[in-house]
Amino acid sequence: MSLHAEIRARFTAPGAEPFVVDAALDADAGETLVVLGPSGSGKTLLLEAVAGFHSCEGRVAVDGRDVSDLPPEARNFGFVFQDYALFPHMTVAENVRFGERYLDDGAEVDARSLLDSLGVADLADRYPPTLSGGERQRVALARSLAVAPDAFLLDEPLSALDAPTRAALRGDLADTLADRTAVYVTHDRTTARALADRVAVMHDGQVVQHGTPDDVFERPASPFVARFTGSNVVAFDAADAGRGSDPVAIRPEHVALVAPGRGDVEGVVERAVREDAAFRVTVALDGPVGAVADGSGRDGDALAADRTLDAFAVDPPAPGDRVGVALPEERLARFDE
Amino acid sequence: MGTGEARGGETRSVAAGWLGRSSLVLAVLTLHAVAFAVAWLLDATTWYAVFALASAAALGYVASDGPFGAAAAALGAVLLVAVGLPLATFVARQEPSVVAEKALDPEVHRMLYLTVYAPLLAALVTLVFGTPLAYLLSRGFAGDSLVQSLVDLPLVVPHSVAGLLILFGFGQGAAFEFLPVLGTVPGMVLALTFVSAPFAVNVVREGFDAVDRRLEYAARIHGASRWETFRRVDLPLVKRAMLTGGVMAWARSVSEFGAVAVVAYNVEFFYPVAGETVTGQHAPVFIFNTYTSGSLPESSAVGFILLTMSVAIFLLVRWVAGDTSVGVGS
Repeated sequence: MSLHAEIRARFTAPGAEPFVVDAALDADAGETLVVLGPSGSGKTLLLEAVAGFHSCEGRVAVDGRDVSDLPPEARNFGFVFQDYALFPHMTVAENVRFGERYLDDGAEVDARSLLDSLGVADLADRYPPTLSGGERQRVALARSLAVAPDAFLLDEPLSALDAPTRAALRGDLADTLADRTAVYVTHDRTTARALADRVAVMHDGQVVQHGTPDDVFERPASPFVARFTGSNVVAFDAADAGRGSDPVAIRPEHVALVAPGRGDVEGVVERAVREDAAFRVTVALDGPVGAVADGSGRDGDALAADRTLDAFAVDPPAPGDRVGVALPEERLARFDE
Repeated sequence: MGTGEARGGETRSVAAGWLGRSSLVLAVLTLHAVAFAVAWLLDATTWYAVFALASAAALGYVASDGPFGAAAAALGAVLLVAVGLPLATFVARQEPSVVAEKALDPEVHRMLYLTVYAPLLAALVTLVFGTPLAYLLSRGFAGDSLVQSLVDLPLVVPHSVAGLLILFGFGQGAAFEFLPVLGTVPGMVLALTFVSAPFAVNVVREGFDAVDRRLEYAARIHGASRWETFRRVDLPLVKRAMLTGGVMAWARSVSEFGAVAVVAYNVEFFYPVAGETVTGQHAPVFIFNTYTSGSLPESSAVGFILLTMSVAIFLLVRWVAGDTSVGVGS
């Protein structure tokens, strides 16, 4: 089933400035929409508002049916929380069967089968506080699956897990969410790229870009999106013929390190850090590159560019080496005006 | 599974450590009992106080941070000695024949029945009406600090004044005229509820504070209504806080004198042992009455019986509370 949400809400907390969320989401039937944003961007509040936990203006519709006025229990969503939110006084099986009595058709929940499908059937009689993080999140996922929701809402379900568990559970989630409608909130671009059919990037309570993962990661609409999705933001000297002085984005994997004098720009290697199969090399760029004056009246952040640039290299130069940096024109992403 | 084995090992090591600590506590208690008995026989309980402070300082020195541990333990022990020494002396000075006589006195039986029964009703009333209030206070609402102040008011109102407030609120010429309170069980229960409610409400509110809102969200999104969420998630998780709050309210009620002396000095109540309505007094009033009649041994014997009964009930409740704990690991 498709999910469409337009949320406008103002959140207040003692001692904090009011925070406004004004965002729209669209997930087609069977699609996983990843809402990607930094901490404090409002993505969790947005998801909770879609679930009905907070009063707000706007509209939430499932397959065109307006559920905005329904309480959370009547919206038929599944929700997986960052910190699991398993009921500590119930066994794993009781947690999974929690929603059974509220199912409209009186169906029975086969907790064992659900747990078995996620590889945790042997935990059925245990209590949540005795489980590891990965086990708890699998149980939480089973609990949501048990109520056969029209759509899944997932709030950073992997962020509290260690790296190997996260990688394993990411695979399970990809299997589970295939052909299911889901909105998945995360600040982790790796997870976003792995799971998303579409991505919505959130910043300061608003969706600032919405598109396929390739759209968002390869063609970021703004320097903020570029940086948050891992791209470099660079600008060339206005005198550099043909390139213009507006900043552009390029992903580190598309940047090539070459001999001095043979690239588009030059710089000095600051560091080379091993990341899995390759090194991430940070180069401090020379002279006018990256120095961009803002005379357009646009938001200063929109034109700011970095003075360093990341590239991947299998055999990296040493810190202090001078290098040339090749920036293939076809890989440069220009920002929307 | 690996996790289970790790936890099993942890449990065993904790159990071994606990056994060691228990043995130490038992040894220290035995030593103190012997020291107090010797001091008592030598009519030199002051020296026991000195011994208690010195032993606390020594234990603090060994078990904690040297001189800092010794100072902290010795200063803390001053308070314990101030409470414990009079208690120990009180128990040691009881005359068994007077205690036995009072233990067989039907008037004392009536007093004990009333002293258990009325505070129990007050604790139940406090929990039934205080738990929803505690929930609302925990979740917050406009004006909640004002309501919280009202809840805490009995803590600062002199209890004899609390008794007067009850007389102004209920009975003849008051807001709730249909409920006579002077010398009645409802009056006594109201007075006890007034003074004990803050203890129960605040403990239960802290219990609700500890329940993560996301557990409520999880219940709601998986089908439970607000009421069902409260019943299936919140209440089980604050069960222990409710029991603690109830025990505190009951214990506070058992010891209440001022408010009861104003509202219900003599109380008419149905006494099931006799099968009829009788007149009796709440324990603190009864003991005060006996004391002012001129008999310290008799009033202290009744006090001793009350103390023994209260400790027994307290331990029983603690045992039941431990027994009903949910089977979670931490």
